[in-house]
Amino acid sequence: MVTTTAPTSAPSNPEARSRGAALVGLPTNLAASLRKFAGTTPGRLSIAMVGLILLSLLTGIVGILSGQSRVNTLDDLAAHREPVSAAAQQIYRSLSDADATSASAFLSGAVEPQDLRDQYNTDIAQAGAALAVAVADSADTENVNDVVPSLTLLETNLPVYTGIVERAAANNAAGYPVGSAYLREADGLMQNTLLPAARNLYQIDTASLDAQQDDATSFPWLGAVALLAVLVALFFTQRYLAKRTNRVLNVGLLIASIAMVLTLLWSAVGLVLAGVHVSTARSSGSDLVAQLSQVRTDALQARTDEILNLIARGGENYDPAFHTLATQLGGKDGAGGLLGSLSSASQDQTTKNEINDAVNAAKSWFSLHGSVQSLNNSGDYKGAVALTLSSANTGEQAMVTKLDAALDKAITQGRTVFADQTNSASGALFAWPIGVLVLAVIAAAGSAIGIWQRLREYR
Amino acid sequence: MSVRRRTRWLGAGGLLLAALLTGCASASGPVNLPIVSSAHPVSPVNAVEGSKAVTPAPPAPNCGDPTASLRPPPSMPQPGNMPSGSTMAKIQARGYLIAGVDQNTFLFGYRDPKTNVIEGFDIDMAHYVAKAIFGDPNKVQFKAISSAQRVPELKSGGVDIVARTMTISCARLNDVAFSTVYYDASERLLVPSTSDVTSIDQLGGKKICAATGSDSLNHIAAVSSHPIPVAVGDWSDCLVMLQQGEVAGVSTDDTILAGMVAQDPNTKIVGPSIADEPYGLAMPKQDNDFVSFVNGVLDGIRGSGTWTQSYETWIGDRIAGGSNQPPNPQYSN
Repeated sequence: MVTTTAPTSAPSNPEARSRGAALVGLPTNLAASLRKFAGTTPGRLSIAMVGLILLSLLTGIVGILSGQSRVNTLDDLAAHREPVSAAAQQIYRSLSDADATSASAFLSGAVEPQDLRDQYNTDIAQAGAALAVAVADSADTENVNDVVPSLTLLETNLPVYTGIVERAAANNAAGYPVGSAYLREADGLMQNTLLPAARNLYQIDTASLDAQQDDATSFPWLGAVALLAVLVALFFTQRYLAKRTNRVLNVGLLIASIAMVLTLLWSAVGLVLAGVHVSTARSSGSDLVAQLSQVRTDALQARTDEILNLIARGGENYDPAFHTLATQLGGKDGAGGLLGSLSSASQDQTTKNEINDAVNAAKSWFSLHGSVQSLNNSGDYKGAVALTLSSANTGEQAMVTKLDAALDKAITQGRTVFADQTNSASGALFAWPIGVLVLAVIAAAGSAIGIWQRLREYR
Repeated sequence: MSVRRRTRWLGAGGLLLAALLTGCASASGPVNLPIVSSAHPVSPVNAVEGSKAVTPAPPAPNCGDPTASLRPPPSMPQPGNMPSGSTMAKIQARGYLIAGVDQNTFLFGYRDPKTNVIEGFDIDMAHYVAKAIFGDPNKVQFKAISSAQRVPELKSGGVDIVARTMTISCARLNDVAFSTVYYDASERLLVPSTSDVTSIDQLGGKKICAATGSDSLNHIAAVSSHPIPVAVGDWSDCLVMLQQGEVAGVSTDDTILAGMVAQDPNTKIVGPSIADEPYGLAMPKQDNDFVSFVNGVLDGIRGSGTWTQSYETWIGDRIAGGSNQPPNPQYSN
């Protein structure tokens, strides 16, 4: 591609002239005769013709190659990059939920409730499946050196984690308090090793998604310069011809000009539209999903801390950790913090409604947490545990489930917006790459025919 | 994307992953597989070992015999009929005793996950006090507190009495009052039952676990053969480390160790007493009448065989060389 530009990009270059001259079958070996030839009108017209044909074809080739690559980038965003990022988010979320669920099941007593057991198993399987997607993608990403350590940590520690959780459950079933120590150890492994690795993986994937979005909306410098060069060359050629021949219009060159102006308009409209769609896909899609995912896992970690605090029974104190996360999530009253700012920043109405549901659930949860704390502080441990695990309408578990479900819906909605907008961006460029090539061929043909007609008059 | 293509990517991903893990060394010969020679064992969160684990204890103030407490009243009031104006009368008026207890120490103060009932040797003591005040051993509200909360809860009046493996010491007597000794614990060593170790001296260079902030850590650090102290957040974390083979032993009160033996029959308590740990029931410093009353209650259970009954229920033969006879009370007045 670059090599083909060399002869045409500098028409004053003697070598370029000589090759151009060769194409119209003139004797070329001597610099003198070349200069002489270039000084004549037919000579200049020949050079202009060759230049225009090459420039037009170059524009077409740049157009179809970079255009197609842009469309491919857009299609890949929706078909591959976003699913991989969602898989990383899935690992992060499933692991957080597994941690909260194993703690809930433990707190429920010696006999684990079946639904919690099922949920824990599903979380672990889900994390494993998403991990497989992430590993498959690791060869494909530019950040492979960053991704592999995180993947290794996840792959090697997840079985260790599940082993400790089972040991905790076995001791708990026997009524041995050492079970709670095992559970706290498992939680430590999750919070200090697995979740940071999952977070890192997710951040890398989100960053490559971001970079790919930038790629898809970057300004097409090469194509723009080539197109501009053709337009300028067409303008000067037509002005030269008009002066020389006293004919205002040259049909061939006019068609070529129209083709190139159409290319310009089509490109401008298509690229601007695609850019708008990608920017919406980012703001109401991928960026929002990234923040919602963070909120969701933070909420699950707060839930884990809250339950561990009851499991520790006055041993290790997990309440400060809970309050840090809760304040980060909902501010002082549950309506501020990350959730509050997401709700007010959200553009998409469906998403906004879901986030508001999440805000309400968080508010109820945090106020119920206060009740749990006062029950526990007054010595009513049993009551505190019951309220914490209650799935009834007024129970804490119900609020946490509600919050998670609302966030899940908001994330799904965000992903839908992303897919729709990214597909629209690709749609805005429908047929554009091939269109640019066809128009360029028309321009080349128009230039050739238009100038050839004039050249023939000199024979 | 076709399924085949995806599969190929998966394969390529695995190969690349393997290549990167091995450092991708030579171009000829088989590609080295990642070799893991040992995996770092998982430890309880906040486990600290070596000199960082030990906080030197401030020199203990000297108060003579800290276990000497106030004599019981000449005659104990009848249950449900506490002398007016006394601390017991206030508790009686409330309708229940508030006892600060542990719900995490097997055999002494533990909430059974199956029944959700808190029980143990310490809990029995609280029931006896409630019985003496109300005539009903169940008129007691248990408030689960951490070791660090014991003194603050007593000072703020959050609890009437603390029955939570609390060692009587001169330092603590500055803040709270103690009953006579209701249990004579001693610091010992727990090792796997397959171990040949018979004394802490034989564990030079080996790791021994104890809870952060406990005196046991100072005792371990003071042993001449230099075992390595490992500090963890909670006693139960020590059993985890012993079961996972990360420490060679656990050193603390034999009462706590007996709870570990009960949870894991593959462990045993060995060696001579490293330190004496006389347990007392703690009460607010100003409640002299209550201290005297509680000593009367303890006197009653010592003589009636009730104490021995509790001992047999909770400790039995789990502590080798333990006595099922109550310790003798010491009085300061």
